[in-house]
Amino acid sequence: MNPYLPAFQWQSRAVLGRHLRVHMRNWHTVTLPPVCEPLILLLAFGVGLGEQIGDLTWHDKPIDYLHYLGPGILAYTVFMSSFFQSLFAAFIRMHFQKSWEGQLTTQVRLEHVVWGEALWAATLATGYAAVVCVVLAVFGLTGALPLHWGWLPLVFPLLFLGALMFSAFGLFFTAILPSIDHITLPFFLVIMPIGFTSSTYFPLPQTPVLDAVVLLNPLHHLAEGLRWLLLFGELTWHLPASAGLCVVLLLLLVPLDMRLLRKRVFGDR
Amino acid sequence: MDKNATHHHESHTPPLLQATGLVKTLGAKRVVDNIDLTCQAGEVLGLLGPNGAGKTTTLRMCYGYLRADAGHISIAGHDIATQADKARRLLGVCTQDDTYDNDFTVRGNLEQTGRYYRPRQADLPARIDALLKRFGLAPYAHQKPDTLSGGYKRRLMIARAVVHQPSVVFLDEPTTGLDPQARVAVWELINTLRDEGLAIVLTTHYMDEAARLSDRLQVLQDGRVRAAGLAQDVLGDVVGEHVVLLAARAPETPNALDWFRKRGDKPAQVLANWHIALDAPGLAAFVAAFPSLPYEVRQPNLDDLFLAIAGEDAA
Repeated sequence: MNPYLPAFQWQSRAVLGRHLRVHMRNWHTVTLPPVCEPLILLLAFGVGLGEQIGDLTWHDKPIDYLHYLGPGILAYTVFMSSFFQSLFAAFIRMHFQKSWEGQLTTQVRLEHVVWGEALWAATLATGYAAVVCVVLAVFGLTGALPLHWGWLPLVFPLLFLGALMFSAFGLFFTAILPSIDHITLPFFLVIMPIGFTSSTYFPLPQTPVLDAVVLLNPLHHLAEGLRWLLLFGELTWHLPASAGLCVVLLLLLVPLDMRLLRKRVFGDR
Repeated sequence: MDKNATHHHESHTPPLLQATGLVKTLGAKRVVDNIDLTCQAGEVLGLLGPNGAGKTTTLRMCYGYLRADAGHISIAGHDIATQADKARRLLGVCTQDDTYDNDFTVRGNLEQTGRYYRPRQADLPARIDALLKRFGLAPYAHQKPDTLSGGYKRRLMIARAVVHQPSVVFLDEPTTGLDPQARVAVWELINTLRDEGLAIVLTTHYMDEAARLSDRLQVLQDGRVRAAGLAQDVLGDVVGEHVVLLAARAPETPNALDWFRKRGDKPAQVLANWHIALDAPGLAAFVAAFPSLPYEVRQPNLDDLFLAIAGEDAA
């Protein structure tokens, strides 16, 4: 069976709708983290730390740290929220709440549950990115963060694609983690290495090894591409590179997720 | 057992559930080995067997949760493997564990379950109102399921299973862990579903439940069908015609037990008594051999069936 087709079937949308409904009921509390986190990061690091360290050198240009940080936080938000949602929240739903089992006794099949989880994580992460944009806009209105806002509509489909890929990555770990006690492992094994080699918080030194590593890091291309686009209005190769890497990884991860989760959920081959 | 006479269907219409040659291997173990099942409209089929007999795995294949390694399952003529959407639209499931969605209220659970089916249930809000009233859940409609008692949680699970008006319902140990009053309430609900014409497949450990609810029984042992049919026929096949009860503390009982074992009978001790299943000639031989030994004789029941199967497993 084609593992990608269920993404477009009504059952996946029904699962997505379920998650959306639950989220909307708690909107007043669940909206706080995506609003407060970028605000705190921009104030603490962008403004606070930025005043201490002065300008950075990025591609041989001097750049204010707050300016460097803003687009990076947008990329990092998409990465963290989708990964966290598809790993932690999906694991809880699968293992403890047994809501997957409840869905699987209806017309919803496992491939729909998996796509529903991935689409939800991507939707949520893109929504959080929109909230980050609002926070960035507030900084922009004060004159502290001048960005090329006209490019934002172009950016959102790419943010969604990146979030979808990272949620497929999160579901991979949902499938293989033996228990909730091991849930911190992916944070050490995936989030920290990807995050530290992504140029989100600081420019990376140029070495042959690091250059090769970041070349394959979609978050690095997303952060760099957003920085060029939103700070200078330049469309660089980083954004298509990020999109291409995300598509390739999605094509690889989705069938793998399906296979591993089938084994996990059904004890089946 | 008298309901067998009223509810058993000798129908010539195709059964709503028809499963043939089911095989399932999980890990290295063949959990289900060539099982056939049928269930007609308005019939309750009781699946019995000790733990590990393959009841839940069989049920899970029938409702499409697990893929059968071999065999064929159809729901109202729709193949569960090749016409999954059509087949699944016509079946409802109450799982052994509570798999309701605790992020929703009782009413929200029924609404959300309804959203997992296409074509959508016509007039779903009215259907939910009717179910809440009928299942005694109306006073709790706006509570989270976790706040309900065990009996009401099971009622919610059964209501979820029928919210989309299926033709076949699978109930996997629907009353496990309930107090007697709550069990009786669930039995009444199951009987009303049968009266509506649903085909119901039920697994249970409770022998009185199987006896009260089932029109036909299918006894599983080690993944195979050990016996099938009306309850009395199944008991006759597996247990025998009579059950002799001997007091364990009676002085002559050990001699009698040796005598039974030499004949190939399998005495089973239950608390203060030994139970021995015998046919009529066996009973006559026992009476002749131990004329002064006090004993009781009664008809076999489903508890004896479990003891007999457990004895076979131990052997």
